[in-house]
Amino acid sequence: MSTAIEISSVSKHYTLGRNSDTLRETLSGIFSPKKANTSLFKALDNVSFNVERGESVGIIGKNGAGKSTLLKILSRISQPTEGEVKIFGKVSSLLEVGTGFHPELTGRENIFLNGSILGMSRIEIKLKLDQIIEFSGIEQFLDTPVKRYSSGMYVRLAFAVAAHLDPEILIVDEVLSVGDAEFQQKCMGKMNEVASGGRTILFVSHNMDAVKRLCPKAVWLKQGTVNAEGKSDDLVRAYLDEFSTISKFTKAADRTDRQGSGDLQLQDVQLLTEEDNKIVSGKPLRIRLQIKSNIIDPAKCLVTVGIRDADRRRIGTLSTRFEQKLLTLKGHSNVYFDIPKLTLAPGKYYMNVFIAHRTENDISDWIEDAATFEVSSSSFHSQHDEHIYTSDIVKFDFKSSVS
Amino acid sequence: MSEKPLIISSKSSLFQFRDLKAYKELFWMLAWRDFKVRYAQTTVGILWAFIQPILTIAILHVVFGKFVKVDTGNTPHMVFTACGMMAWTYFSFVMTNAGSSIISAQSMVKKIYFPRIIIPLSKALVGLIDMAITATILAGLMIYNQVSVSSNIVYLPLFLALLMITSLSIGILFSALSIRFRDIQYLIPFVVQLGLYITPTAYPSSVALNSLPQWATIIYYLNPMAVIVEGFRWSILGLAPPSIYSLISFAMIAILFAFSLYFFKKIDSKIADLV
Repeated sequence: MSTAIEISSVSKHYTLGRNSDTLRETLSGIFSPKKANTSLFKALDNVSFNVERGESVGIIGKNGAGKSTLLKILSRISQPTEGEVKIFGKVSSLLEVGTGFHPELTGRENIFLNGSILGMSRIEIKLKLDQIIEFSGIEQFLDTPVKRYSSGMYVRLAFAVAAHLDPEILIVDEVLSVGDAEFQQKCMGKMNEVASGGRTILFVSHNMDAVKRLCPKAVWLKQGTVNAEGKSDDLVRAYLDEFSTISKFTKAADRTDRQGSGDLQLQDVQLLTEEDNKIVSGKPLRIRLQIKSNIIDPAKCLVTVGIRDADRRRIGTLSTRFEQKLLTLKGHSNVYFDIPKLTLAPGKYYMNVFIAHRTENDISDWIEDAATFEVSSSSFHSQHDEHIYTSDIVKFDFKSSVS
Repeated sequence: MSEKPLIISSKSSLFQFRDLKAYKELFWMLAWRDFKVRYAQTTVGILWAFIQPILTIAILHVVFGKFVKVDTGNTPHMVFTACGMMAWTYFSFVMTNAGSSIISAQSMVKKIYFPRIIIPLSKALVGLIDMAITATILAGLMIYNQVSVSSNIVYLPLFLALLMITSLSIGILFSALSIRFRDIQYLIPFVVQLGLYITPTAYPSSVALNSLPQWATIIYYLNPMAVIVEGFRWSILGLAPPSIYSLISFAMIAILFAFSLYFFKKIDSKIADLV
């Protein structure tokens, strides 16, 4: 395989604080550049990695990790302070959809304008016009100025143009997080199509599911440097785990990253099992929530526990709402959820806790990743199933028969 | 794989000359867009493009032709002024629009690459429409006043080229400067306003030459529009040819042109970071 993008020791520094404040100072600065006395912010610090031809690579990292800066450099919008990037092949970058759209122009006119901004030729746009219009699904508004469009229509049209770019290398920022769920599916499908068509893709997203689906490989940026590089499944998991390091060791009572009025507050979560601290699939599990009420009167409340897997996919929900009852809490109380037979496969899980006062809408306390637990083994069936289907999430109680 | 890779580094400029050809169509599209949206949602639409120069010419004629009674020889003052306005309209349009063009396009500049210079360049094309409209008004006035076109008209393309170069140079220079100094945005209307008076649009330059000491004449001709306006009148109406002092204007145009391109190139790779 040959290289499509080669990034060698790229750094980007920004000067913080005041810019040279007089015209004279700046003019002389432009003609004889010298190091100014201001502090530097290293948005990217010695970043190197390669992207092979035909590969889809996801870039993950928190806000401020340097993802956007990197994309700006790769898109030739911003110049690196140090280092070099080599790009082999025709490249297009999509840092947003609908760049250059003019509100006074009609949909059709904007297709041509936006297309040429994206580097398409007029003939190319003409050839693809029907496909673009069909993809957008707004043919009846095509001759209306886009300022009359709803934001959904606007985004559909904008994405439709972008989706018909045909570069060898595509650099995409968080543009899939637009439109409704159905349209997002459509965009994702289109991206998959592009990826499987042998194109090279560099994809930045906060949507970890999208990264995993689209990109076998990933690069994890952290504070301007490459923190890790490798299979996206592993990287995404490690990334999400790191996110929750705070919560893992912080007792619910001390958590500050919570939402709600605070009328009722979760203090602690405990998982009680028959065997000490060992959570086993197929055995009973008791969840104990210690909740403190900060109101004088007895509070009638709803308590919900959401279980998620290591990738934060929802697995199941335990809620007093399902039992159609409100719990009456006063002062410090313990709320128990008893699961007679745990059906989760061995693995790591996270719990969200949601407490509402009287109605679902009156949120008192809401903590994401309030606790984490590990199901260590299974006693569901004979021991044979455990090592074969390791990526299963749920265990079923079943019997097979012949008739 | 035989093609040369695209190299992005601190040493090479983000802009590469081969891109100018690749983005030729965008240049036309941007000009077309400006034209399309210019009078969008106005009641009289393109009529505005006529109303403005007609009123300006009328007022300049009343002030300079009737009140001050400047001497324009056999040429009716209104025709004389319209001819000067033909060049001036273009200059003020291109300088104003090109000067603010990069700031107006900042949302685009921060999101996608294309040769930045085509943003101010495209304004030079749009300005031709305004000039054509003023030319139509001039033609109408010439027919009405039975003024014939001079045989010097063959030299008009030369002065047209000088006009475009001058307008673009100042426009490009202002667009580059305004990235860093928003002050330029307030300077531009000021330049347009004062420029109309210090340029011999509504009066012949001989008026200025006769009443200024020699050193001041040199300063007067530092204004490159002085020679261009005179050149327009010489080639269209056959009036007095540009004076010897025009050489100063020519030199000024060359300096402005070189300096604006140099300065734009200096700042080009930093536009997205600074704007």
